[in-house]
Amino acid sequence: MTPERYAAMVRLTTSRRKLLRGASGLGAAAALGLGGGLGAAVRGAFAQSDLRTEILKIPGVGVGSPTDADWQQVGEMTLGPTREIVQQGEFQGVELTFMGLNNQNLHNFLFRGFLRPWEAYTGARITWIDLAQADYNPRLQQAIATGTVDFDILEMGAPFEGDVCGKGLASEMPDWVKQVIDMDDYVGYLKAPVGTWDGKTFRISIDGDCHNFNYRTDVFSDPGLAAAWKAEGGAGEWGVPKTWQQVQAVSKFLKGKKLGGQDLYGYLDAPKGWGGFGFYFLGSRATAYAKHPDDPAFLFDPDTMKPRINNPAWVRAIQDVIDLLPSQPADQLNADPGTTAFQQFLAGTGSMLAWWGDVGSNARTSDSSVVGEVVGFDILPGSDDVYNSRTGQWETLASGPNHAPNMAYIGWGIYVMARVDADEKKRKAAWSAAAHLGGKDISLWMAAYPSGFQPYRNSHFNIAEWTAAGYDEAFITSYLNSQANSYNHPNAAIEPRIPGIFQYYSVAEDELAKIFAGQYSAQEGADRIAAAWEKLTDQIGRESQLALYRASLGL
Amino acid sequence: MVAGTATSGGEQARAVAAPVAEPRQRAGRLLLLVASLLFAGVVLAQILDRADVLGLGLTTWRPTLYAYVIWGIALCRAQVLIRGERGQQALFVLPAVLFTVAMAVFPTLFGFTIAFSDWNLSAFAGRRFNGLDNVRAMFRDPFYWNAMGNMVLYTAAVLVEYAIAFALALLLNAEIRARKFFRVAFLLPLMLSPVAVSWMIGKSLMEYRWGPAATFARWLGWENPAFFATPGIAKLSIMAIDAWTFIPFLMVMLLAGLQAIPRDLLEAARVDGANAWQTFWRIVFPLMLPVSLTAIVLRIIFKLKLADIVINVTAGGPGGATDTVTSFIFREYRDRSNVGYGTMLAMFYLVLIIVFMTLLLNLVARFMRRVT
Repeated sequence: MTPERYAAMVRLTTSRRKLLRGASGLGAAAALGLGGGLGAAVRGAFAQSDLRTEILKIPGVGVGSPTDADWQQVGEMTLGPTREIVQQGEFQGVELTFMGLNNQNLHNFLFRGFLRPWEAYTGARITWIDLAQADYNPRLQQAIATGTVDFDILEMGAPFEGDVCGKGLASEMPDWVKQVIDMDDYVGYLKAPVGTWDGKTFRISIDGDCHNFNYRTDVFSDPGLAAAWKAEGGAGEWGVPKTWQQVQAVSKFLKGKKLGGQDLYGYLDAPKGWGGFGFYFLGSRATAYAKHPDDPAFLFDPDTMKPRINNPAWVRAIQDVIDLLPSQPADQLNADPGTTAFQQFLAGTGSMLAWWGDVGSNARTSDSSVVGEVVGFDILPGSDDVYNSRTGQWETLASGPNHAPNMAYIGWGIYVMARVDADEKKRKAAWSAAAHLGGKDISLWMAAYPSGFQPYRNSHFNIAEWTAAGYDEAFITSYLNSQANSYNHPNAAIEPRIPGIFQYYSVAEDELAKIFAGQYSAQEGADRIAAAWEKLTDQIGRESQLALYRASLGL
Repeated sequence: MVAGTATSGGEQARAVAAPVAEPRQRAGRLLLLVASLLFAGVVLAQILDRADVLGLGLTTWRPTLYAYVIWGIALCRAQVLIRGERGQQALFVLPAVLFTVAMAVFPTLFGFTIAFSDWNLSAFAGRRFNGLDNVRAMFRDPFYWNAMGNMVLYTAAVLVEYAIAFALALLLNAEIRARKFFRVAFLLPLMLSPVAVSWMIGKSLMEYRWGPAATFARWLGWENPAFFATPGIAKLSIMAIDAWTFIPFLMVMLLAGLQAIPRDLLEAARVDGANAWQTFWRIVFPLMLPVSLTAIVLRIIFKLKLADIVINVTAGGPGGATDTVTSFIFREYRDRSNVGYGTMLAMFYLVLIIVFMTLLLNLVARFMRRVT
């Protein structure tokens, strides 16, 4: 270490103790502005497993939410693969534009921190287009439809691949990127055809999405409630519901009960629209009824593209919400999914919730969570019977309740746009930045801390790494099993990657709002949604939608 | 006398304007002709290129924009060449007219062409003319007309806001302690962005679990103070939030009107034995009518654009109870990328507003003529 570097670190108030602590301290100093110079020291300091162990200590589980300094530190420490492919300063003069979400302390907030050391090392500069979740879809659609793609790198969910990759707007992934990010490590359902179009690969996965079932362990292990359950004639033993029928019964039972002086509520529905994303939450209730193990489709008929939203399975799920709303908090009709997760469940209201993995990753790492010690996880509840759309009959399976985890949104990915292809230097820079964000080690940190992303690689399910980081073994085992068992479930309900899918969801949200407000019956409202979806399919193009839908189902 | 002077001055100016030489006029006409041909040629080429008749490979309409700018400059120059000094006088207005045509008139007309299109941004077929289909769909759209019905109620609430604003203006016009402080304090809501108000009031103050307003309501005996869970209460809550933001606007206008009332009128009324009630109804209120009507009309215009608070707090719910026309159009356009239909809804609403405001202003003018 040169005297200049030592002096610089002292100026940055990095303590001597931190310096002596080794590479972790060096990484922090580098992240604070010393750029690539210290990176070499960082690179040399870690073996692969040490690196994974060390980055999971930043900032440490249970010590509060990560900050920009933490993201930069992680970005610096995981720069190794970039250094092997890219020379220092190789992208000097390259300007890239990155479009993604600006959710508070998630998504672009992290990417900025992760990519700052990459910018310092490569010499490239990134301009950011930050979008609110609700503005994301229209901004992307307008750019596509008007031919005004003004970004080089895009954070995008797989449902939009039909719009982007199908229209030739994305750059094909170079082979070296596949090696750098170790694509073979992806969980099965994220491998092709997800991320591919016409046999070409376009996507670097940074997320694996599914809804899992979050519940309060204190509620379902409380002896008083167990006694009351028995006394009131509840079926079976008091415990975590495994089917939606049990969820309904337990939620109605909990209405009016108290635990520790607090009002208890059961399952939390999200009846208020959320820019189309709210529809996933009805989907999580419906898949166990509507996704038959012998039929890959659950949303549309794969032969005619006729909606199934008004079949008895979906109508039953809608009716379940209607039936349960009186047992939920009095203002539940004005609760969107953001409210149910962050203002209700994590804040201590409600005892069951279907959500993405963010609830689990925030439970013990977010400052605003009060349920970190009393939360458990499972795959979504099943159903005692399942509707067979082909026969039009409800069936009871010999194997027991039908489970169909909802792979809602399929996860975020990083895509490079085709407009960089004309400039080889820019193309390499864009793919290098994308590969840095989709790297194997950095992904572990994103899965473990609040990021907006959940586990999506086989290597993310190594319990020992998580416990070494400070996670309680029972907690993290429960959390990771709920994810892995959802991803690997043979009857997983995988969302169709068809153009305009959020338009279908948005139309449905408007009609559902009227159903939940009591203006229509479940069947009448579902029929209205179906009619609106038919109209939409005709408007977008029935033949192309049908072809893409079948392709997404692997038919 | 003054008018006469002005007229004779104008005639004098016209009389002394030097005649323009014929060669200059010819040059001006030629310049205008060449520029017009260039403009028309570029527009035609772009249209043919877009229709795949020509293979120019133009990706944007910028050439047409540049041709318009060149044509505009040539038109201005030609005015001077052809009409001399009168042409120079025209230049005071002509650039502004050309700018307005480019930035307001053309987009509006183009908007109408989009309104008669089937244009879903996800559709591979792109934009297609679909005649009156969007109009027919609009008249059958229950969400649109539900929002329109809500707008009638929201607009009617302006009268309540006016009454409250008038009372506050009277209060702040009186000789009270810390009058200047209160004037500034009452203005604060107007300075806040409606989005900030949505979060501060709708999502924090009125939050069901821990919001101070909900806590206070519980203390008063309302067991479940959910401000946005039932249609009627949700509508009233949105009205209250919006009123809280915009009453200061009405109040400031009315306060300015009150301060403009001559003191001697009020003193004369008092000398004649009028009490406070009589002074208000017989002197103050009639004198305030012009200001009041202006304030109400402006407030209605603001009200017809209500969207941000609704989008942020209720997303139009429960069941469309708080939806506004603008928030519905926002969803149709933003969430569903249904550009053609969304534009038709917006254009129809624009026409409705223009007709409504024209009628309202006519009624106001007639009323004012009758009472003054």
